[in-house]
Amino acid sequence: MQGETVSSSLWPGIMSTATALSNPLTAGTSGLLPQPCLLVIFGAAGDLSWRKLLPAVYNLNVDGVLPSHFAVVGFGLGSEGDGDQWLRRRALDGVRHFSRRPPDDSHWADFARALFYVEGSFNDARAYEQLKARLDSLDQQFGTPGSRVYYLAVPPQVVPICVDHLKAAGMVHDPAEGQAFTRVIVEKPIGRDLESARQINADVAKAFDETQTYRIDHYLGKETVQNLLVVRFANSIFEPLWNQKYVDHVQITVAEDEGLTHRDPQTGEVTGSRIGYYEGVGALRDMVQNHMLQVLCLTAMEPPWSLDADVVRDAKVAVLRCLRRMTPKDVEQSVVRAQYIAGDVHGEPVAGYRHEVREYFTQRRQPVPADSTSETFVALRLFIDNWRWAGVPFYLRTGKRLPKRSSEVAIQFKDVPQILFNAQPEVPLEPTVLSLRVQPEEGLSLRIASKLPGPKIRIYPVKLEFNYSASFGENAPEAYERLILDVMAGDATLFMRRDGVEAAWELVTPILETWQTSHQSSLPEYRAGTWGPLEADRLIEADGRQWRIL
Amino acid sequence: MASAAADESTPIPIDRVEQELARRLHDLQKPGGAPALRACMSNLVIFCDRKPLAEQLTNDIPAVVALHPARVLLLIGEPDSGGDEPIATVSVRYHPAAKGRPVGSEQVTLHARSRTAIDRLPFAVRGLLIGDLPVNLWWATPSPPPFGGSLLYELSERAQQVIYDSIGWPEPARGVVAAASWLSQLGRCRWCVASDLNWRRLKYWRRLLAQALDPGSAPGALDSISEVLVEHGPHAVIQAWELVSWLAARLGWQVAAGKVQPGIEISWQVAAPHGKIQVRLRRLADGPSEVRRVRLACRLRGRPGALNLAYAEEQRLAAVLEGIDAAPRTITVQAQSLAELVGRQLSDRERDPLFSASMAVARVLAESVLR
Repeated sequence: MQGETVSSSLWPGIMSTATALSNPLTAGTSGLLPQPCLLVIFGAAGDLSWRKLLPAVYNLNVDGVLPSHFAVVGFGLGSEGDGDQWLRRRALDGVRHFSRRPPDDSHWADFARALFYVEGSFNDARAYEQLKARLDSLDQQFGTPGSRVYYLAVPPQVVPICVDHLKAAGMVHDPAEGQAFTRVIVEKPIGRDLESARQINADVAKAFDETQTYRIDHYLGKETVQNLLVVRFANSIFEPLWNQKYVDHVQITVAEDEGLTHRDPQTGEVTGSRIGYYEGVGALRDMVQNHMLQVLCLTAMEPPWSLDADVVRDAKVAVLRCLRRMTPKDVEQSVVRAQYIAGDVHGEPVAGYRHEVREYFTQRRQPVPADSTSETFVALRLFIDNWRWAGVPFYLRTGKRLPKRSSEVAIQFKDVPQILFNAQPEVPLEPTVLSLRVQPEEGLSLRIASKLPGPKIRIYPVKLEFNYSASFGENAPEAYERLILDVMAGDATLFMRRDGVEAAWELVTPILETWQTSHQSSLPEYRAGTWGPLEADRLIEADGRQWRIL
Repeated sequence: MASAAADESTPIPIDRVEQELARRLHDLQKPGGAPALRACMSNLVIFCDRKPLAEQLTNDIPAVVALHPARVLLLIGEPDSGGDEPIATVSVRYHPAAKGRPVGSEQVTLHARSRTAIDRLPFAVRGLLIGDLPVNLWWATPSPPPFGGSLLYELSERAQQVIYDSIGWPEPARGVVAAASWLSQLGRCRWCVASDLNWRRLKYWRRLLAQALDPGSAPGALDSISEVLVEHGPHAVIQAWELVSWLAARLGWQVAAGKVQPGIEISWQVAAPHGKIQVRLRRLADGPSEVRRVRLACRLRGRPGALNLAYAEEQRLAAVLEGIDAAPRTITVQAQSLAELVGRQLSDRERDPLFSASMAVARVLAESVLR
């Protein structure tokens, strides 16, 4: 129409990407549209694929938001018998257990017909040839235009191997060609420290342009996290207060009641474990470097001038660049790490972390790491050295085996002057707090002071509550659904850019290095089922503040 | 799904409605149970003009509020059945949401059985709206909203959205002209939008057409359309009309002449930048009231060909090329009941410029057949 005519394409086989030419029938529609493609899941036999990815794609299919030509191809080792059938069984099991919607026959049949599996090792060049041949054949079968989304649901050390092979096998299109697109989704963790993160980014960049690279952090796909921007910039009452003049401090909490080992509640047998991944990683790398710093960025960033991906990401990176870097002394004073020991969670006795580590490695007949120092809890005090946030502490805490699963961002506003209703210094008024709950019950609440009914002036804190599911009723899409769809549409707003990842590591790496050089053989401990070690309480109490009760 | 409290048919004086609702919401709270939540995203005012339709709507409302919790004010306007006062009844429904906690939503039914009582409905509604929440008006009569006269204008005076359904309008061309004219006036209002459920039903057709005709995948097709045929079931002519209006609006077609063969076909000659196009809406004698097939004759790979869109199977819409050996392009279609359509529309409050532009073209198409 308005664009240059491409003569070679009609549905079967390769065709130009729909974004190459303007389409008057899609002009004016809000948002980017997902484009026809094949979604290739590396590590499709793994846990992430089973629990999250396949159920997410199933739900997208039920919602009718997938493009007209689309199929999913699993790649990796671990299938049994006929690979396609195996993946379909595996996907059905995942949908049954983890989907927000149970499978129904007609939708399932429709979804399953577009599920395929290619068995092969990630470091076997022949496997990529087979994969390529299968994808080309599926292009013909499904009329997909040669476009690919590669979801690398694999350990970080495998990412460069996959990327190299994809490039060598000619499975990556140059984005400048304007033909079919190739995009790659890279799962966290991206590196173990700044150097390794840079290395992984460089490895990925050998094959994929930054515009083709989607570093996923599923936290950013959560409704409440996205709602942070809406609360801030769509309500005129908050943004004028959102600065050092009115905010006393900010607390960001990601509390998990689960430990690293999952047991059958009836038999007590181990049903799953993340120890293999977690040991040597710890909470700082696992939660703070990615999820929590991303949430902090959304909480603290300046208003972006548009919602374009790079504008939003520029604003986030600006926050990371203003985070005060820590010296070893700062780490000592502003960071607390700890491990859980045996305790009680939800009325059930649970083992300590080191016990779980020993059990895990012993069962696998692998050498047991001596005296693990992987932290299962971390608390930090951070400062953002810019005009808006000068002097306002941001307290972050995250841990395993805490009393309950609860994540929130809480903005605590400054006290009112100590006159009138706040005249008694020994009984200060509770401060106003805006709390944005990320999970489990997404919503927000505003704590304000109110007069108790009666003849006397008695002040009592009350909460104004907004609950997502109660207000909106809907079965909200899972984070992965939104994010996969965004990749297919080419919208990178909710994904981490290379400079953002590296800026986050620039903050975290000095902490890791300080810990490494301290040669601390044992960490502070907290009993499972408590809110962390005493040291964490002391960290915030030293500033005359307290952790919030969740 | 939802269960209703007892005593729903007991009339309540209008000035006692709030107290009665509060009492019934309080009664939802089971001793020792999780706190019952009262969910309310908006006020939903529904107007219908006959009792059987009201009964059908009453069955649909729980599903609507499950998607979009709202205070529902169901207005039944049946002139000539007597009584000068609207009669109010209330009910509170709850459904499990929010991690199993019961979520209650309330309904007030106002039954007006004379012209005088109908004229009093807007006054009763003003007193029953929950402040600071959006107001949605669902005009649930089988005739175009502007035919509702002053009642529509009064009920919509505070509404952020007016929802209507053009399915089954008895005089399609006149209805389209009236609706388009009303929409154009409404378009000047900053805070109110109007939404036709038929437009929403077309979502998947529009999506698949856009994908199948994309210049990247079907080069030259959009520039060479010579015929458009839309087959539709009974009562769905306006749905088909809106689909061709959308195509015409997006592709810059100019209407030359129109002709009606009552009950059989409506056709137009339109002029596109590349030449003339024959557009036809053909009514099928039976089957579901919806668009059933779209056929576009155009050039494919430089040769005459055609694109056919139809349901390949339930919940799967397919685009098939005529004369070219190619796998059909298909998308999953989520079947949506009336309640689901309304429930989802209630949350979509954005002005849809595509709908406005399409209805402006629909009006020109309608005027051409009324000449």
